[in-house]
This record gives sequence, C-alpha cells and structure tokens, in this order.
Amino acid sequence: MNEHLNNIIVAKKELPSSLVKLGWVLTMLGLVLVGISYITDAQRAVQNNLIGFTFLASVSVGAVFFIALEYIAGAVWSTPFRRVTEFLAATLPLLIILAIPLFMNMHNLFEWTHTDVVTSDKVLHGKASYLNVNSFTIRFAVMMAIWMLFYLVFRKHSFVQDLNHDQKHTSINIKFAAVFIPVYAISISLFAFDWLMSLTPHWFSTIFGVYYFIGSIVCTLSVITYLVVSLAEKGYFFKGITEDHYYSFGALLFALLSFWAYIAFSQFMLIWYANLPEENFWFIARWKNGWEYISSALALFHFWIPYFMLVSRPSKMNKGNLKRTALLLIAAHFLDLYWMVMPTFHASPVFSFHELAFPMLTLGLIIVVFAIQSKKYNMVPIGDPKLERGIDFRL
Amino acid sequence: MANSLYSIVATFESPDTIIKAAKAVRDAGYKKFDVHTPFPVHGMDKAMSLPETKLGFVTLAAAILGAVGMISFASWVAAVDYPLVIGGKPYWSWPAFVPVTYEIAVLASVVLTVVIMIVFFFKFPNISHPLHDTPYMKKVSSDKFGVSIQAQDELFNEKKVRELLQSLGGNVDAVYYSDEFINFKPQLFEPKFLLLLAGIAMASSAGGYLLWNKILFLPPYDWMMEQQKVKPQMVSNFYSDKFAMRQPVEGTVARGYIPYPYKDKPDDAGKYLVNPLLPTKQVLELGKKKFLTFCSPCHGNFGQGDSRLRGQFPNPPSLHSDKVRGWPDGNIYHVITNGQNVMPSYQYQVSREERWAIILYIRTLQRALNAKESDLQ
Amino acid sequence: MSATLMDYTKEVPVVEGTPTAASLDEAISKPLYTFPKRNWFIGLAISGSMLLFGIITVTWLLWKGVGIWGINQPVEWGFDVVNFVFWVGIGHAGTLISAILFLLRQKWRTGIARFAEAMTLFAVLCAVQFVLFHTGRPWLAIVYLFPYVTQHGVWVNFISPLEWDVFAVNTYFTVSAVFWYVGLIPDLATLRDRATTKMRKTVFTILSLGWRFSNRHWQHYERAYLIMAGFATPLVLSVHTIVSFDFAVSVIPGWHSTIFPPYFVAGAIFSGFAMVQNVLIVTRKAFNFEYLITMDTIEKMNKIMLLTGSMVGFAYLTESFIAWYSGNPFEQFTFLNYALGPYGWSAAVLISCNVLLPQLFWFKKVRTSLLASFILAIFVNVGMWFERFIIIVVSLHRDYLPSSWRMFIPTVWDFGMLIGSFGLFFTLVLLFVKFLPSISMSEIKSVIPGAQPSHHGNGAHHG
Repeated sequence: MNEHLNNIIVAKKELPSSLVKLGWVLTMLGLVLVGISYITDAQRAVQNNLIGFTFLASVSVGAVFFIALEYIAGAVWSTPFRRVTEFLAATLPLLIILAIPLFMNMHNLFEWTHTDVVTSDKVLHGKASYLNVNSFTIRFAVMMAIWMLFYLVFRKHSFVQDLNHDQKHTSINIKFAAVFIPVYAISISLFAFDWLMSLTPHWFSTIFGVYYFIGSIVCTLSVITYLVVSLAEKGYFFKGITEDHYYSFGALLFALLSFWAYIAFSQFMLIWYANLPEENFWFIARWKNGWEYISSALALFHFWIPYFMLVSRPSKMNKGNLKRTALLLIAAHFLDLYWMVMPTFHASPVFSFHELAFPMLTLGLIIVVFAIQSKKYNMVPIGDPKLERGIDFRL
Repeated sequence: MANSLYSIVATFESPDTIIKAAKAVRDAGYKKFDVHTPFPVHGMDKAMSLPETKLGFVTLAAAILGAVGMISFASWVAAVDYPLVIGGKPYWSWPAFVPVTYEIAVLASVVLTVVIMIVFFFKFPNISHPLHDTPYMKKVSSDKFGVSIQAQDELFNEKKVRELLQSLGGNVDAVYYSDEFINFKPQLFEPKFLLLLAGIAMASSAGGYLLWNKILFLPPYDWMMEQQKVKPQMVSNFYSDKFAMRQPVEGTVARGYIPYPYKDKPDDAGKYLVNPLLPTKQVLELGKKKFLTFCSPCHGNFGQGDSRLRGQFPNPPSLHSDKVRGWPDGNIYHVITNGQNVMPSYQYQVSREERWAIILYIRTLQRALNAKESDLQ
Repeated sequence: MSATLMDYTKEVPVVEGTPTAASLDEAISKPLYTFPKRNWFIGLAISGSMLLFGIITVTWLLWKGVGIWGINQPVEWGFDVVNFVFWVGIGHAGTLISAILFLLRQKWRTGIARFAEAMTLFAVLCAVQFVLFHTGRPWLAIVYLFPYVTQHGVWVNFISPLEWDVFAVNTYFTVSAVFWYVGLIPDLATLRDRATTKMRKTVFTILSLGWRFSNRHWQHYERAYLIMAGFATPLVLSVHTIVSFDFAVSVIPGWHSTIFPPYFVAGAIFSGFAMVQNVLIVTRKAFNFEYLITMDTIEKMNKIMLLTGSMVGFAYLTESFIAWYSGNPFEQFTFLNYALGPYGWSAAVLISCNVLLPQLFWFKKVRTSLLASFILAIFVNVGMWFERFIIIVVSLHRDYLPSSWRMFIPTVWDFGMLIGSFGLFFTLVLLFVKFLPSISMSEIKSVIPGAQPSHHGNGAHHG
C-alpha cells in the first residue's frame, strides 16, 4: 500500500521467550501461593483477592478506555502501538474468574451483606435498596456485559481492518467510542462505589469514582508504556521509532499522575478541612497505627518520586527512565488498592506472602494473555488509516 | 548612510531553502550569524547547531524559590507571628497552605522565566538594533526567511559572504549602522537613575502606608462607619418610652447566671446543695488561688482568722471551729454567696464553680489541722 | 451519520485553501487599519450603555454599601458570588485553549487562541470586580486581602479558602496576561514593520520591545511558551478548584461534596467554551475569517462542549446519588429542595440548558450549523449561570433551622452589576478586535501548507 509498511518489522512476532516464561512462572507461583493463602487464612486471602481483582479491572477496563480514547481524540502517535492496548484488554474475561471467590466470600468482605447489622443500623438500612447482594450482582453482570460488548466491537473492527484496509471501520469505532465514554464514566464510578467504597458502608465521597478511575488509568498507561518501550527496544513494531513517540508516552503519564495527585489531594483536603465525623473516620483510620507510613508512602511513590522522575524534558524521552517510572507506578497502584482495602480490616499494616500472591498472579496472567494474543494477531494495526501518520509522527 | 557595515543579509523564499542556507553558513565556519524567520521553523536549532536552551533551569529555580518562600511565610504568619485557632485546627495546618504555595510557585516561575528571558536572554528592551527598520527586517517580519552574517565575524569577508549567499539562491543585501547608533548604551545602572528608582520606591511605600493606615480611616473616607442603627444609651423614636435599649422579658435568665434560690434559707442550702466538684489537684489549686485572693484578707492564709485585719474590725471567725467543720458544704456556699454578719456577698466576684473549689480547699485546710488517725499512717 | 466519509490518512488542515503568509498578515491586520463598520459602533454603543449602567450601580454601591443588594440572612452570598464564579469560569476557556490544547498539539487552536486568551483576561477582570465590591469597602481591600504590613499587626488568614482565592485569581490573571503578551510580541513586531503612521510605529516599537525574529530568540521563546503552557495547565485547574474550595470545605449541605473540584473545572471549561463560541462566530463573520477559523474548529469546540457538558451532568448524577447514599437527612433535603423547592424552576432551567440541550451536539448537523452552535452556546451560559445560582442561593436559603429560612429576591442593583459586567466584557472585546490582531499571525503562518520544512510533513506545530 505504501512504503511505510516496509518499515514495520514483522506484523506477527512472538514475544521474547524470557517474558513469556516470566509470565508463566508468575502465574503458576501466584496460583500456588493463592491456594496456600486461601487454605491458611481465607479471610485475608479474600481481601487480597479483592486487591488483585480491582487491579486487573484497572488494567483491562482501562485498556478498553484507552482504545476508545485514541479513536475519539483522533490521536495518531499511539496508533502504531494500539495493539498493545487491545491485547491488554483481552484480560477482561479473566475478571469473572477472579470475581468468583469474591462472590463466594462476600460475607467476609462486605459488612452490608449481614442482614442483622443492616436492620439494626439506620444508615445502612437506608441504603439497603442499593447495597444488597442481588442488585450488586446484577450491576456487576451488566457492567461486565457492557465492557465486553464494547471491547469486542473495537477489537473486531480493528482486526478486520488489518485485512481489508477499509476506513469505515475507523468511522464505526469512533462512533462506538463516543458512546462508550459516558457509559464508561458511569460504570467505572459504580464499580468503585460497589467494590471499594462499600467496604466501609457508612463512608461516602462523591469523588471516589473519579479517584479510582484516575488511579486505574495511570496504572494502565504504565503497563502500556512499559510493554511498548521494552518491546520497541527489542525491535518490535516498526523501524524509526523516534524520541517524539516516547515523549508522548512520558508526557501523558506525567499529566495523568499529576492529575491523580490533584484528585487525591482534593478528596483529602475537603474531608480534612470540613472534619465531619461521618467522613473523616476513613482518613483517620489511614493515619494511625502505622497506616500513616503507608499513606505517606502512597503520596511518595504514586506522586512525588515519579513526578520528579518525569519532570524534565529529556527524562520523558529516556527509555530506561520511562520503564522504571512505569514499573514504579504499577507497584504504586497495588499500594493504592492496598491502602483503600486493608485499613478496613486491619488495625495496622500487614504484610506477608498473602500480599504477594495476587500481585504475582495478576501480573502473570496479564503477561500470559498478552503473549497468547501477540502470537495470534498482528502486533501493529497494519490496516489502520492513521498508521502512516502515526509512524511519521513528530512533535 | 555613510556608516560601517553591520552584516550581509540574504532572504529566501521557503523553509526548505533557509534550512539549507543555515546549514551551509554553519558549515562554512561562521559563528556570528543569525537566522530571521517570521515564525519558528522546525529543525532550525539543529541546522544552526544551537545549544539546548537553559531556560528550564531558571524556571526550576524560580518554582523552588516561590514554593519554599511562600510556605515558610504562611507557616510563620499562621503559626508564629499571628496564631489564631481557625476551625479548631492546629496553627500549623499544612494542607491549608498547599493552595497558596502552589499559586505562588506558579506565579514566580512564569513571571521570572519570562522576565529573565526577555532581559537576560534577549537583552530586551532594545529598539536600536542595527537590523531594525531595515528593508530586510520588514521582509522577515512578514513572509521571507532571512540569514544575516555579521561583519564582526572572524572569517568575515564581504565578497566571499556575498558569493556564498548568492550561491544558495538568496536575495542578498547589506545592512549598515551609524556609529552613534551602535555605541548608544542603555543608562540603566547610572547612579542618578538608581537614585530615582529608590526615591520612587520610598515615596510609594510611605504613601501606601499613610493611605492604608491613616488616611482611609479619617473623614471623609469613614462615612460607612456611620450606620443607621441604634446603640446603647441612645434615644429611639421607634418606642414610646424613647429607650433604644429594651428591657428583657420578665423571667429572662442570662447565660451562666442561674438565680440563687436559697436566699435567707441557710439550712435549705445546707440540705439541698451538693458540691459538684471532686477534690482533684486542679480544683484544689483553683480553690487555693481564689481563697488567697478573696478569703485570706480576713480569714487568714490558713483560715484561722489571723489575718492582718485582726483588731480593726470585729474579728473574723476561724474556719476551724467545730461549727464550720460540722457544716455541710451547702452552708459554706450560702455564706459565700449571701454573706453573713459583716461579711458581704461574694457572688459577683467569685463564680459558682470557684465557690465550690474554695469550699474544697477549706475542707483541705480543716483536715490539715485536725487530721484523722488514718491520715497520719 | 456523516454523509461524506472522512479520510483518516490525512490531517485536517488548520486553514482552508492555500493563503500566503503575506495575505494572512494583510487580512489579520486589516481591522487595525480600516475605519470600523457601522455594526461595530452599534455594538460599542450597546455594550457601552450596559457598562454605563454598571458604573452607575457601582457608584451607588460604593456610596451606600452592599445593603442595596438583595442579600439577607441566611443568603449572605447572592448575585455577587454567583457572578464571580460565572465570570471566572468563563475565563478558563482561554488558558485551556492556549495551554492545554497547545500541550495536546491540537493545531486547530491556532486560529482562536489569541482572542480566547484576551477573553480570559477580560472575564477575570469582570470576575474580580465582584469579589472586590462585595467586600463592602474595597478601598481597604489591600489591607485584608493581601498580606500587607499594617500598624494593626494583623495578617491575612492563610487557612481560609477565601484567601486562597485571592492568591489563585491574582496569579491566574497575571500569568494569563504574561502568556498573552508573550504571544503578542512577534505580532506586535510585524505590526511595527507594517505601520504607516508615526504614532502606530512608536506604539508598536515600544510594545514589541525590539523583537527581530531571530532564531536565537525563537529558540528560547518556544521553550518559554512550552514551559508557560506546562504551568498554565495545572494553574487553570487549580483556580477553579480553589473557587470550589470556597464552598466545598464548608459544612453546608449541597456545598460540602468532594467531587466539587473536578466538577467545577469541567463546568468552567463548558461555559468558557460557550462564550468563546459566541464571540468566535460573530468575529469570524464580521472579519471574513471563515478560512482561518474553519467549520472544523467550530465543530471541535462543540464536541468539547458536549464532553464537558456531559461531565457536568455526570457530576449532578453522582452528587444526587451520594446525597441519597450518604444517609444524611440534611443532604437529602437539600437535593430534594433543589428540584422541588421554591426555586425548583431554576433546577429545570439548569438541567435543560446544561445537560439536555447540549446533547443535540451528538448530531453532526447541529455541530456544523452556525446558528445552532450560537444559540446552544447562549443556552449553555444561561444554564451555567443558573448552576452557580443554585449552588449558592438555593443551598443557602434553606438553613439548618427552619426559622431562618428566607427567600432571596434580587434588586435592580443586583441586575445592574450583572448587566454592567457584560457591558465591560463586550466593550473590551470590541476594543480588542479593533486595536490588536485577533488571530496570532506568527502562529497561523507557521501552520499553513508549506510553512515548515518538507521532511516534517505539512505544517508541524508551533512549539
């Protein structure tokens, strides 16, 4: 079709075997640890299961969001790398598997599932029509169905386009992306309210959905950035990836993590300042008995350190720096989820192999799914009309 | 213009040719040359081999200066110089200083970056540069792309330069300047000018001080202090009795002033009143303080009736008599509140809590003089 | 839905046709050299009379005090703060267009950035007057708004959100002004070289500081522009965030909501874009800038309005849901009162103008219709004004104690200030388009076809 396609190294190329191996090892080891964890301390295992589940949701749903974002914003610099995002979104069905043990152990997680507590508590009684097992399950099923539907539509049109190079697929995907954005906004908010905010059913914060959303987006972009940079270093995608491409990843990551800090600080500031007893206990619980160190670490690792790692212009283009920052932010998102979930159940921070099992399993699963996908499908959307502009992209 | 040569200039039509020309001039080894374009042309910095701009460091320094300066200032004001409890928060409430610190950091970095760029990087304002007002400048300010090689360059040779530029396809011209024009130095650091600046600064600070501390509080600027409202002791035509102050409704009780129901009934007071306080260290210290202030001038420092007033008045009684020791707390309370014989009422000097604290202190004194067996063990 | 399929392999051109750089200079600087048309004078007469009304109001206000307004207990904040938030919000679009879209490399901003920035300055000026005059005795404001050393030994209260506001709005105004001026310097130099009269030449020579288009300067200039955009972007978020803190840190039901910061910012962008859209459509027509401010630009503006409008709608949903979910009876009452209370009609205006009507922008026909865009933009601003009215007045008029419930009825002087601020704004806009280039000449010249070296494709970005 044009001379640029010659620059694309190999459309289909297996991942480096070391990465694939790492994925399988992490998955297997994670599975074993999860098993031990469930046998020795089911209570704690299910809490960690929730962290792993929400982490996977962050990455997979976030990936669908990024696909939609690229279409709706008409971005071209990310087009050559869109397959990375699409492969990541393929982890979406795994959410159901990770959710099964959670549904089986809902009693251990959610106070509002205890009918005796709810009937005697006026506040909980008031919200029982929202917080009950049936509507909770229905909401989750509907969300999953919506996310899957949009994912499959985007994927279908993107993959078919590889073969027929028809621009109408881009048009269709743009239209679906426009519909997806508002649907996503509502569903991800409710997802955060359901799975994370309702752990402390008396507590409420209107910004909480936005807070989870931005944390998940930072994490997804970190995963994408890490994979793109490390694969590009090994000669994947196309010849002549410029600093301008890397700069775009770095700058977007920088902007999003600053936005995370803005949202996190706003939530803290408003609750700290008004100091209302029905709200402030959530933060007080996270500022005593050792949790203050976790909270400070969160601010440090999710904002200050990555912020200064990316603040200068050359650092946003430096491949090694980008990879390090991305890894740090992935770890920071686990810390963020840990910080949201665990203080509800533990008076002071806890850490042992239980806390390692699910991060290993989820990261392993993501790599494995990615490896399987990249083996089957083109690494670069060769039929995309924006591809040429994306390859030629200059600041 | 019988003047000296400033530079040889050439204008080009397209961005591609100017990039090529800039590269050629650079490769020919000229140092004092410049490219003039109506808008920044991409890749030109590389073509001219310009070093990376250092402006980012200025910004970083300014941001740190602004942030550190502001948070220190806000902390000093709110926690040291003018501490006020706001919303029950600690004086040093760091989250509350984040917004102002952030704003000043942004303000400092943007303003300082631009000012330093204009003054030190550009050496502006400078409206007497030789290139100004030349036909060349009029072209590059609209749609032509120009290159200018200065006569001061070490390799400068008018003929060679002209040939080079012509070979690149440029429209070659020369720019001259008059000597007085180029020798003109801005007189920014002349002592007279600096003195003038200092004078203006002092006058405006003094003026500002006078204005905002004195003048604006004097007539005629105080007219809003006269408001249409009645104040205590004023005449009001609204009410038939012409009093601006109104009597409270009958039976009104002021805050903290519960009426004393046992006036002239010492026995009832003894019977029904119970000391609400416990003899803690804090209460006893309060009682001691108030006792020494109000009671000791007559009753003596230890309640033995041996004060320095002894002999000038009917002798005040000792508080260690069997009668007083046998009284319930309520009776003593009654005496302090109502007075007895020559002793006046102390209800306006000593609050209710303080009276009860004094009683506990008296009990301590009594116990000290007539200790029980158990106290001595 | 679109009849003609788009060609995604090509970039949408920023300007239509192939104008030359010289013709752009000519077209953009033309209003400066020609005697204005009759419509311009009619506009100036209308906005000038509105401004006059405002000046009369302010004079009376300074003489008599804020008692001439309709404010009362418990509605201590009335039109003054409503208008302040409204205008500050409008002021957000300029910096958004010039900074955020610059960082996002959206080239279509080139044609509209200049006067969006100018509108920012004017809108912030309009906003500042309200907070200044609502202090009661503004001539003393410097003493209690700024940390000015007085003999009273009193400092400002850095723990108060109102003090943060002083810092935020002043920083915002200063930074916007610097941003605007730095962007103007090359254009002023071009005007200097085009000047025909001595007067113009002197003025533009001084204002352009001696700019000579040197690439040794452009290099720093571009970096400075990038840095300023980088700082202005979080600044624009922080300003309306701090405005939202004025409300959200309190414990008033309907004010204390953690989503306020992003929700206020989205609302500000929404209303700002609507105002820019209105002025844009008129300017474009009046000066024949159709090929510089293309239909594509207008469509993108509409898309952003659709996006931000939906974000605002989403925030309404979240707030109402959490008000119910919180189980707090005061919150629940406040939200019911918004919809069903004595000011319920304003909630209806709000929802229809801010949430429902912008949904028409889903249709390409509406997005690309000048008339529809213009009318919808007006509706958006009406709706956003009522949003602030609801947040401030309707939240306050029902206090915790029913004995202090009271209605707010604006007086003629409340409207005087509002009308006066519109007069000030449009007068400044009209003067601006007459006396300064309303489109950045150096920027638009850098994005026309063939403006950049060929290996960079057609027209790489300024910056």
